[in-house]
Amino acid sequence: MNTVTEAGRYLTFTLNGEAYALDIFHVTEILEYRSLTVVPMMPDFIRGVINLRGRAVPVIDLAIRFGRGNTVIGRRTSIIIVHIHDPSLAELAEVDVDDKDVTDGQDIGVLVDSVTKVVTLSSDDIEPAPAFGAGIRADYISGMARRDDDFLILLDISHVLSVSDMVRLSDLAQQPTVDRSPVEGGGIPAEPGQP
Amino acid sequence: MALDDDMREALDMFVTEARDLVQGLEEGLLELEDQPSGGETVNAVFRAAHTLKGSSGLFGLQHLVAFTHVVETVLGSVREGTLDVTPGLVSALLPCTDHISAMIEGLARGQLEPDAAQAADGARLLSGLEPYLMDGGAMTPTASAPGTDAEPQERAWRLELHFGEDCLRNGMDPLSFLRYLSTLGTVTDVVTVTDRLPDAADMDPESCYFSFEVDLVTAAPKSEIEAVFDFVRDDSDIRITPADSQLDTYVRAIRAMPENDRIGDVLVTSGAVTELEMAEALRIQQERAVREGTQPVPIGEILIEQGIVQRAIVDAALNRQRRTSETRSQDTRTIRIDAARLDKLIDLVGELVIAQSSTGMPNSSATDTSAEAQSEVMRLVDEVRHSALSLRMVPIGTTLRRFERVVRDVCMELGKEVSLVITGGDAEMDKALVERISDPLLHLVRNSLDHGIEPAGERRKHGKAQQGTLRLNAYHDAGNIVIEVADDGRGLDRDRILAKAVERELVAPGTALTDSEIYNLIFEPGFSTAETVSNLSGRGVGMDVVKRNVTALRGSIEVETTRGIGTTIRIRLPLTLAIIDGFLVGVGSSSFIVPLDRVTECVELPPGPLVRDCMNLRGEVLPFIRLRQIFGIPGHAARRQNVVIVEQSGQRTGLVVDSLLGELQTVIKPLGILFSRVKCISGSTILGNGEIALILDVGSLIADHSDRELLRQAVPVG
Amino acid sequence: MTAPRRFVVDEELTIVTAADHRERLLASLGDGNALRIDLSGVGDVDTAGLQVLVMARAEGFRLGLPVEFAEPSAAVTEALALTRLEL
Repeated sequence: MNTVTEAGRYLTFTLNGEAYALDIFHVTEILEYRSLTVVPMMPDFIRGVINLRGRAVPVIDLAIRFGRGNTVIGRRTSIIIVHIHDPSLAELAEVDVDDKDVTDGQDIGVLVDSVTKVVTLSSDDIEPAPAFGAGIRADYISGMARRDDDFLILLDISHVLSVSDMVRLSDLAQQPTVDRSPVEGGGIPAEPGQP
Repeated sequence: MALDDDMREALDMFVTEARDLVQGLEEGLLELEDQPSGGETVNAVFRAAHTLKGSSGLFGLQHLVAFTHVVETVLGSVREGTLDVTPGLVSALLPCTDHISAMIEGLARGQLEPDAAQAADGARLLSGLEPYLMDGGAMTPTASAPGTDAEPQERAWRLELHFGEDCLRNGMDPLSFLRYLSTLGTVTDVVTVTDRLPDAADMDPESCYFSFEVDLVTAAPKSEIEAVFDFVRDDSDIRITPADSQLDTYVRAIRAMPENDRIGDVLVTSGAVTELEMAEALRIQQERAVREGTQPVPIGEILIEQGIVQRAIVDAALNRQRRTSETRSQDTRTIRIDAARLDKLIDLVGELVIAQSSTGMPNSSATDTSAEAQSEVMRLVDEVRHSALSLRMVPIGTTLRRFERVVRDVCMELGKEVSLVITGGDAEMDKALVERISDPLLHLVRNSLDHGIEPAGERRKHGKAQQGTLRLNAYHDAGNIVIEVADDGRGLDRDRILAKAVERELVAPGTALTDSEIYNLIFEPGFSTAETVSNLSGRGVGMDVVKRNVTALRGSIEVETTRGIGTTIRIRLPLTLAIIDGFLVGVGSSSFIVPLDRVTECVELPPGPLVRDCMNLRGEVLPFIRLRQIFGIPGHAARRQNVVIVEQSGQRTGLVVDSLLGELQTVIKPLGILFSRVKCISGSTILGNGEIALILDVGSLIADHSDRELLRQAVPVG
Repeated sequence: MTAPRRFVVDEELTIVTAADHRERLLASLGDGNALRIDLSGVGDVDTAGLQVLVMARAEGFRLGLPVEFAEPSAAVTEALALTRLEL
């Protein structure tokens, strides 16, 4: 189910010094960082929930998801709200398929170091994703775009933020494990989200 | 069979659901063909067939029940491993799913029974399954499916036949009608009324003057008797009423009928009045109302006046109707609403109006203010939505009363006598929750009738009342709604359950288990102690499904049973979507809400070693859970910590927190699907400062914690 | 008072012959005769026929003339059984 990378408008942002972009089609709004409520017993890349006009919207730390440490909150830290529709959710066990989240899709916040700008890319600008070498899982990337003297990684947001994947990961986090004793006073441990 | 709107609506829902099930069945079969050993797939197709059968039974769709039962029986053998999946089996089953699908599409078009071609098709398909039936399971549906109509009761009727004067001239001889009636049943008496015969001089020998009063005992329904007079109806006056001796039977039958808000339907369903008679009465009612320009006379009065039915029967039907409209008014047309909730909603709307007008204020100096007002409007809109949602709390009684029909039908099928007693129907819960708990309850009710309550003979032998009692009770308890299904049947057999569980390899032989652990085995997948496979249950699919459904609603289920005395199954569900009274606590920078009705008291944590997880509370040992620790909240514990003491199922546990922040009204907001697997959090709420606080699910928190503790003690950390 | 006159109803006692029978019976009664109606030959009877018989007896009663029925055929017996009429 690889999305065909098309020319179009992309929102660019930085994460741990690297430049990424995602199709603006998915973006509903961009927020300044605001305080998060941590939901315990969830995988670390789910940083917590924010109040978006009275709704609790989960916020994902892509740095942790990509196994690149964690996003440190700074002056320009932002939350990009994207709307995701994951049809494979209905196949998850014990998920109510009538749930509004399943039928209508859901909003998810993405924590980024800074939002740069919106760029328009033509299909000439976009090259297919390399099988490896980009530093993150190949199926998270829908393409690469040359920009100045560097590359812009175009994210396949429906894979990066696959809700069903994340639910499965959170399911694992629920299993009682012996060695999961929390670090008293420690920060959020930076562990690779995916191999 | 006339479908009223509610029935039609319910049937539409059934059709939608059934389509999915058939599709699942088909997909599963295809999957099995590829991978014959897929255990989960076998369970899934079996469950699909089972659910299809169950839902069809609810609608009295006997042809679907009978057909699906055979399919289910075959799949049951596959599930038990006594029958292997072969391409032949799959090819025999697949056309069956097509057939089921065709019948469901028929339903969608309003065809409640299969046509001749479909029936023939069905029979052919079933015979194709015969080689796969181990033990004559196919006989069960044919024997029991038509059970309700197999032995229609004989009833006594009083027929008043006033033939039209011209009937003889039209070639209709009343004698031939009398003759025909005696083929329909037993004519116990006839009175030939000769009063209308005029004096000899005035008599027209070709006119009919005689009328007849016939007492007929027959198993034929009223409509069939009525049909006898089809040809003379137009100019004759034919009245068929239940004999006076039968009045009690009708009155009882009507009382036992499912609720209906139309008296006509009640009377027609009871068999006392035919649809034709009802149509005629309605016509008279309308005609008279038009002619006299008055309010229509109640239809019951017209039926009595026309001699169609006796007053006692109409009165019984009226009672039935009154009960119906009372419950309906709480269900669909109107919902009883707590005035405070309505006031809150109105207040919110007021705030919204004010906030909205301030957004329109021309104020060039501050675009910020306008944006703020805008977001205030958004917030209020959302609050209004939530407030409106809380109005959805409905009493559960309506759902419980639907089981009257189930109990009646199941008892008929099983030949048992059971009275249903419903209490606590006023207890409120969210409408959505009510709908989702109704199926699990149905399973429990059937199970009690099928396995719990003994046949009358066995009950007599044990000195019990011949009639069993099934109680449905609902009440609120500690922020939950509790629904009990209790029977006074034989109770669970501890030893048999254990033996069965060992046989099914659910527990290892020789395992020491407490009574309640043993009783809880009935909720394990694949567990069933039924000795015979009946049409109803006893396939061991019901109880595990019940447990799964209840757990999915964040509820719990428990069994209480005494041998020979009865069994009570208790479902405990949270009142989600409701506004709850919460108790706000702080741990580090996080805030949590503890449902207030779980909180018994708060005390300061006495100083003590950090490793110990219990304290002395007035001489008793109180175990506690350090929220900071189990939630992995960073930072150091406050110098003075507090313990919130909560009670769950009679057990008290302390929750160690940093600060107590007080009580507040909490609107529960779901956390969404991403957090659907979080056990210890039941939802979230927005605090006054706009931050989100998580609501603790005290029951899971304690259960989960003790699981972890057990694991920690069992496995040495190394 | 003379002995009842024998009145024979043959073959058909139905709507087809009812008017006929009525005329004849009324005529006989009009003559002041008590009647003994022989039903042994009746092969076919219907409601119209029975009505005529009942009428005859009522008329006889009104005139003070006994009307009796004799030797009902199988068809008549069946009709009487159906209607529980007693003649």
